[in-house]
Amino acid sequence: MCGIIGYVGFRDARTVLLESLKRLDYRGYDSAGVAIIDQTLKVYKEVGEIARVEKQIPMMKGTTGIGHTRWATHGAVTKENAHPHLSCDKKIAIIHNGIIENFTKLKEELLKKGHTFLSQTDSEVIAHLIDDAYKGNLEDAVISAVKKIQGSYAIVVVCEDEPEKIIGVRKESPLVIGVGDSENFLGSDITAFLKYTKRVKFLNDGELVTITKDTITVFNINKKVIPKKEELITWDVKDAEKSGFPHFMLKEIYDQPDSVHQVLRGRLSEIEETVTFPEQVERLLTGDVTQIHIVACGTSFYAGLVGKYLIEQLTNIPVFTELASEYRYFGTRNETSLVIAITQSGETADTLAALREAQTSGCKTLVITNVIGSTATRISDGYILQQSGPEIGVAATKTFTSQLIVLLLIALKIAILQKKIGSDELYNAIFDLKELPRYAREVLERSDDILAIANQLKNAQSVFFVGRGINFPLSLEGALKLKEISYIHAEGFAAGELKHGPFALLTKDTPVVAIVTQDTTYDKMLANIGEIKARGSTVIAIAEDNDTEIEKHADYVLRFPTGSQVLPCIPITIVLQLLAYHVANLRKCPIDKPRNLAKSVTVE
Amino acid sequence: MKCVILAAGEGKRMHPLTYTRPKVMLPIAGKPILEWNLRNARAAGLKDFIFVVSYKSEMVREYFGNGKKWNIKITYVNQGEPMGTAHAIGMVESFVNDCLVMCGDTIFGTNDIKKIKRKGNKIGLIKVENALEYGIVELIGKYVVKIYEKMDRPFTNVINAGIYHFNKDMFSYIRNTEKSARGEYEITDSINLFASKEKMEGVFLKDWRDVVYPWHLLDANEELLKKLKTKIQGTVEKNVTIKGPILVGKGTVIRSGSYIEGPVIIGDNSNIGPHCFLRPYTTIGNHCHIGNACEVKNSIVMDHSNVPHLNYVGDSVIGEHCNLGAGTTVANLRLDKNNIVVTLNGKKIDSKRRKLGTIIGDNVQTGINSTINVGTMIGNNVFIGLGALAKEEIRPDSKIL
Repeated sequence: MCGIIGYVGFRDARTVLLESLKRLDYRGYDSAGVAIIDQTLKVYKEVGEIARVEKQIPMMKGTTGIGHTRWATHGAVTKENAHPHLSCDKKIAIIHNGIIENFTKLKEELLKKGHTFLSQTDSEVIAHLIDDAYKGNLEDAVISAVKKIQGSYAIVVVCEDEPEKIIGVRKESPLVIGVGDSENFLGSDITAFLKYTKRVKFLNDGELVTITKDTITVFNINKKVIPKKEELITWDVKDAEKSGFPHFMLKEIYDQPDSVHQVLRGRLSEIEETVTFPEQVERLLTGDVTQIHIVACGTSFYAGLVGKYLIEQLTNIPVFTELASEYRYFGTRNETSLVIAITQSGETADTLAALREAQTSGCKTLVITNVIGSTATRISDGYILQQSGPEIGVAATKTFTSQLIVLLLIALKIAILQKKIGSDELYNAIFDLKELPRYAREVLERSDDILAIANQLKNAQSVFFVGRGINFPLSLEGALKLKEISYIHAEGFAAGELKHGPFALLTKDTPVVAIVTQDTTYDKMLANIGEIKARGSTVIAIAEDNDTEIEKHADYVLRFPTGSQVLPCIPITIVLQLLAYHVANLRKCPIDKPRNLAKSVTVE
Repeated sequence: MKCVILAAGEGKRMHPLTYTRPKVMLPIAGKPILEWNLRNARAAGLKDFIFVVSYKSEMVREYFGNGKKWNIKITYVNQGEPMGTAHAIGMVESFVNDCLVMCGDTIFGTNDIKKIKRKGNKIGLIKVENALEYGIVELIGKYVVKIYEKMDRPFTNVINAGIYHFNKDMFSYIRNTEKSARGEYEITDSINLFASKEKMEGVFLKDWRDVVYPWHLLDANEELLKKLKTKIQGTVEKNVTIKGPILVGKGTVIRSGSYIEGPVIIGDNSNIGPHCFLRPYTTIGNHCHIGNACEVKNSIVMDHSNVPHLNYVGDSVIGEHCNLGAGTTVANLRLDKNNIVVTLNGKKIDSKRRKLGTIIGDNVQTGINSTINVGTMIGNNVFIGLGALAKEEIRPDSKIL
């Protein structure tokens, strides 16, 4: 989640690095720093906002430099621990994203050799390892260092003695090459340099690259040159901007009628009554799958829990949704298991580790992701793109709803392949799916009603979310959205579980949001609401338009359009997102960049 | 001497055509504006070019490559964020010494380029009828005193034409230029700084064609087509009438019964007729189809677009990959014969033309018997339903039913 940028070319490196770091800001932001070669190597770093670093850096002529925004993993948030890190003679500077697992041992060895360490980070050992091996050729020194380190990393290095060159290397952390004219870039993602070029080359695990003003040389650890194809990015800088909304999160909530349409595009056919995926994905779903494991983290994990309901409902296959970080410790797996990993960025370290674990056990792997060319797409047997467009707000919104739809499409596809679904039912499902953008739009039009309820919640200490069946994971997601952006303590519960413990927490000052749909869970939900009301708590129900009964039970009712039989969770989720957004906005929280959080978590 | 061509701009006033291409890639008489400049500059003896690009730069690069096709060398410099003309020119400081700089969206003549190329700092000047929209140049003798941007009451009609000869020392003035009131680094400010210390010679130009709004493409097209000489590389069937000069590209077939009044350009691999009527100052692109009982007059039809059956298109520009339904007609003259007022980017603008049809962006489909009113601006990816009336400004990606 740290942001990385490297630049060599003709422009003033100071400007390029600072602008890119501002763009990468969302990836991690407790400290930042740059190193620029302006005759000698000059380093500036600071805790806090990038603007604070910017103030320190004088105007200079250097046209080669590297920059980093940090999200602490090893060592506290201090100026010393901020990147870049330097060698003892201050001639080599490195920036690093990832974790060096064997750094304690390496550090001891380096200390014995007389190296002085200035920080508590794992990253600093890289600078000293390169320094230790440096004999006039930076490539050789980096290779030698890479051979010694274990862990995951994207590393970018500059050296005062070879001022017109930057070296990058990656393993299990993202690093992309931006191809320019008389200039080249390295970045932890494309946004870092999109303003200057849309031409990119993707680096694979274990590959190194040397960029100069006019050349890009990709090579492996044996110095064998690897040819790379240039690819063109089709989205614009504008796509990654707020387009008039006060926050990226709100923009992305309002993107949903479109993102819901985008994820369905080309995959649904009313005429042929079928769902279409790329060939390699269909092959994965056709085979004799006896069990499905969904692995994911955070919001994607909740999407996975919804996926369990969707897939089991339509097929006979048992589904186990597991936290990616716990997957390796549990579970049974074999060649007939299909592991579906959900990761918006395609770079979530925990999920990638689970994917690798699954592959070693011989399972087939399928990835649902939003980022083409990401690590997850390259290490899996097949992948489905969410086609949601870039999501900048740290709190996942449109990517969550798209993930739900992909999971439903997978469920439908398996049901079709196994002949578990009749043509009428399928026709209705496809018809309903096509109506989803309209339902999404209708909820957005009711934003003001939701704002009124948000006013009721803004001073709460604690808010509970409850639901049954498919609405249970939605209540978890509703609680997550609220706590991550408004800093109000929030918990989601299966409605039936309340009386087994959480009841003890209910008082008249703990509002409860109840998701109520008119299905088999309806009567039990009304009973649960009764129990909650009896403890004096305010109940805010999220219910369908045509549900007239609910007003007699709940204190307030937020409505979503009736009729979406197949996936009512899409409009419900949008209600929950807007609720969290309005509460956080009323509390004046930094919605797009909540404290201590980063968009994609690339460490385990 | 290197020739720097500024080709970074989006050209918002050229919407809807520039939603999908940079301004310099707009075609006039079958070639992008930038190519006309490139050819004229080459004819003036320049061989080494730097294109300053940004907005949809991949399209410029794809078309021009390294310049080998034109026997010249092209280097690209990406401006990144467009922050004004001085910012754009400042980009190339480390690539040039003495250089000629021109705006890529205005067409300059070969002889004028030669004059600007001569030794010493120079700026191209031109006299225009209405100087309101331009930079007004104050001269003493032949030297520049000051340039004033967009004056309300211009004291002269001599304007900055957008072509310069700069020595290396100009770049120190560019570096010291401050942001203007509209928040950009403007080369006119740099020139004013320069002119207060050193001499900048004004050179009056003879050939100059700038295009600001989309309908100006029609004027520029007409001007270039007036010089057209007949060259037919395609097939012309029997019973085709051709009057005046026409240029027909390779693989193009003109079918029986077609009546063509030059000057008209038809690109490669197009399918013309049978029985169509092409009138003067019309440019048809590559892979186009003009079908039976269609009349096209004083218009630009870009590549892969069809005017296939029973259509009238007059004084219009049609983008790429468009298809008109049978019977779609374009109005190009008000019944009261007044000037046509256009709504562009939400603002009303007098086009100063009595005859103006429509400007259509890329990928637009119209239904049968749909009607397009005078001065209609149609965004890209628009559907116009059958029998529908299109008028005023239609945003990209919309459907008119």
